[in-house]
Amino acid sequence: MAKIKSINISGLRGIKDLLPLDLNKKSVLIYGDNGTGKSSLTDAFEWFFFDQIGHLSNEEIGRRKGRDALRNIFIPDVEGCYIELKFNDSNFDNMKSLSSSLSISISNISDEFNNYIKAAQSENLILRYRDLVQFVIASKTEKLTELQKIIGFSEVANVRSLLKKNAGRIARTIKNANYDNQKNVQQSIIIENLGRNAHIEEHFFGGSNELIKQLKLDTEIKSQTDINRVLKQIESKEDTELLDQINFFTRIWEVLSEVEGNVDNIQESYSAYHIFFTKFQEDPEKITKLQLLALFREGQSVLNNDIVQNDYCPLCQQEKNKIELIQELNERIEELEQLAGEKRQLDELGDELKQQVQSNIRTIESLLKEKRFKNEEYEKLNKQIEGFKKSLNEFTEELKKKFTAKLAEPSEIKIDKIELAKFVQHAKVTSKALTDSKSSNIKFQIYTKLFQASTAYIAYQRIEKEQDVLTKQQVTLELIYEDFIKRQEEALNEFLAMFSQDINDYYTTMNPNEKVKNIKLVPLKKNDEMVGITIEYSFFDETKTPPIAYLSESHINCLGLSFFLASVKAFNKENEFFILDDVISSFDRSHRARFAKLLADKFSDYQVILLTHEKEFFELVSSDVKSRGWSIKNFTWSKESGTGVEKGTHGLEERIHKKFEEKNTDGLGNDIRVYTENVMKEVAFNIEANVAFRYNEINERRMAPELLDAVHSRISKKGKGLKEKANIPRVKGMPMFIGNTTSHDNKYNESIEDLEVMWEDIKKTIHTFYCNNCKKFISIKYFDNVENRIRCGCGNLSYDWKK
Amino acid sequence: MRDKIKSGKDVIEEFFNNILHVEGVDKKTVDKLVELFSENKLTDSNIQNALEELKQAELEPRKEKDHGEN
Repeated sequence: MAKIKSINISGLRGIKDLLPLDLNKKSVLIYGDNGTGKSSLTDAFEWFFFDQIGHLSNEEIGRRKGRDALRNIFIPDVEGCYIELKFNDSNFDNMKSLSSSLSISISNISDEFNNYIKAAQSENLILRYRDLVQFVIASKTEKLTELQKIIGFSEVANVRSLLKKNAGRIARTIKNANYDNQKNVQQSIIIENLGRNAHIEEHFFGGSNELIKQLKLDTEIKSQTDINRVLKQIESKEDTELLDQINFFTRIWEVLSEVEGNVDNIQESYSAYHIFFTKFQEDPEKITKLQLLALFREGQSVLNNDIVQNDYCPLCQQEKNKIELIQELNERIEELEQLAGEKRQLDELGDELKQQVQSNIRTIESLLKEKRFKNEEYEKLNKQIEGFKKSLNEFTEELKKKFTAKLAEPSEIKIDKIELAKFVQHAKVTSKALTDSKSSNIKFQIYTKLFQASTAYIAYQRIEKEQDVLTKQQVTLELIYEDFIKRQEEALNEFLAMFSQDINDYYTTMNPNEKVKNIKLVPLKKNDEMVGITIEYSFFDETKTPPIAYLSESHINCLGLSFFLASVKAFNKENEFFILDDVISSFDRSHRARFAKLLADKFSDYQVILLTHEKEFFELVSSDVKSRGWSIKNFTWSKESGTGVEKGTHGLEERIHKKFEEKNTDGLGNDIRVYTENVMKEVAFNIEANVAFRYNEINERRMAPELLDAVHSRISKKGKGLKEKANIPRVKGMPMFIGNTTSHDNKYNESIEDLEVMWEDIKKTIHTFYCNNCKKFISIKYFDNVENRIRCGCGNLSYDWKK
Repeated sequence: MRDKIKSGKDVIEEFFNNILHVEGVDKKTVDKLVELFSENKLTDSNIQNALEELKQAELEPRKEKDHGEN
């Protein structure tokens, strides 16, 4: 798994000049005041891996995935900016650059890197304070969506939705086609012409043979080919016009019978739509409320993306706790989504009705395209059929009505079924009468009947086949959907059990002996559908949900943090590092200590990049994590260079020399004091000077006078000649060492000349303990037992030392 | 325990590997869905088109036979 060897960032966000961080796969604790550029590091990381910066990707700041706000505003246009990451696996090393025209380039174009980045994008790499509580206070639907996204179940949800959607669509097609009605129409034509129904070929050919019997053709119909042959044999060219007329009325009979068979379904669908529609009208507030959904969603996005950072409502400008505000919004959105669901149901009913009506209108329109309707003698017929079409169109018109309008009652918008039935009967009778008009011509009558029956039987077979295929498809999709749900739920439940265990473990590690325990993520179902996930926990041995009601902000943050850490363990397969950006702001002291311990104990295999602006937290944990091999860095910021790393004693020494060269006394006294404190800590450590026990955070803030005293006392007892050479009282008497922690930043008014003298004296004292040859301090670990001398690493510097 | 946890990808792959064993399913429909999945083309419109094609293919042979015989 990937760990980071080094990071180089230049010109991105608050980072102007090159910010180099050599991590060598180690965890790092980075401290920096607000505005020193810690978040710039996180932003650059997000851009490197995800090609966007979520909290910058909005209308206000920049639409191009945050790219517009990515470049440091102080760098010249000609300069590009970049982030370069080097990993333990050099195949993933890459420099991602952004030109002044905001075009992106990468140095690693290998497939291996491309695959790595794709995989990394589904991992949990960054947690910012603002994202900490989002999952905890999210609605149950959002929790399900979010969790599915994290655990790679979004694709599962997509497949599930595809199966459901297609099964539903086919079911609707079957219902709207009303195949049984279509088949009945064709069967009635067959009965009319063969005197019997014919659902299978045997019956149809049997009936056809009966029909042609009296023609004594000396042939037996056994196939459709035989039918065609017989029809050809008995057809008469002279009767074409009459036959055409018979077909015309048969077609009217067929089409309008079909429409007649669909009328009840249309009326039923309209009644269902009417009930839902009027239910909505009864509560006009529902509609008004629904219109607020978009506003609430926008508000949710504004708060989640940290566009509003402080505790106030951006709409009413009143003071309001941000977490509470987000939670209230989530609850209202959830309530409105329920309403939106009802509205969707109404829309679906409307769509179904529309499809039914349109399908019948199309059938009638295709009938009206018959050439005979252009003849004057059929004008009345045409108008009557147009009347049925108009009745159908009335349903469509009702569907267009807004909630403020009154929908026609189902009784007011009926298709005149009796009139339609009369019309069907008329067409049927006319067709029969025309056939019978040539009663003397048996051949013609048989030809006509066989032709009509054959056409109807072919249509019947086709309809039946289509119904059969669609039903098989529908049944298949429903069965596999059921199977899919089972698999999805099993996998999700297994995951939730494991995941809950980890969350509970991390949470209780940070909150031991508290009344909240047994934290669980529990799936919620409605009508056998998984609709959300909620967080359950025991509070004084009583099961509670949702979490916010009984938990403080600090506890909610702990829960959010536990969720993130559990996600890291469960799903990060490519990367063994993650960034925590200022996540402990709301934690009290004991939570902070336990959080650091949790990271050190349970995530020791991981490379943690822990950023904080909390000086107290930094001081609290820095010694501890340092002893576990973490690096410690201080971020600083200046207008000239942007974000930089405090370079420790060496860098400080360079700065002091530079200030002397420039005769710049600004902060020089403080720099000398900090430098001396750092060096004296090393001296005290190496000669085992006794200093009083202090807790970590105080230990880190030991002042130079205390250290100088301890060193002086030690060398007075043990050393010979060393005490005189070091002359510590001379250093201790310098003005920058007179004061306390609160006076650290006091300005010293000494002239540059005075400071130069002091600096020389301090250097002399330091060089009493420090060997320029081996670059090491004299130390007890190099103690010469034979000569009783304390030495540096190479032995060039040594003093007598009492055992 | 952690190893037993299935990713979303695992769930989908396992489903498509076993889909034919679901009792009562139509082989042609299932084959078509598996084909779309294996070609990474499992989208709503592709499923819709594939099922329509299947339907037409089932209806076509008879039509061709009829034409051939006419």
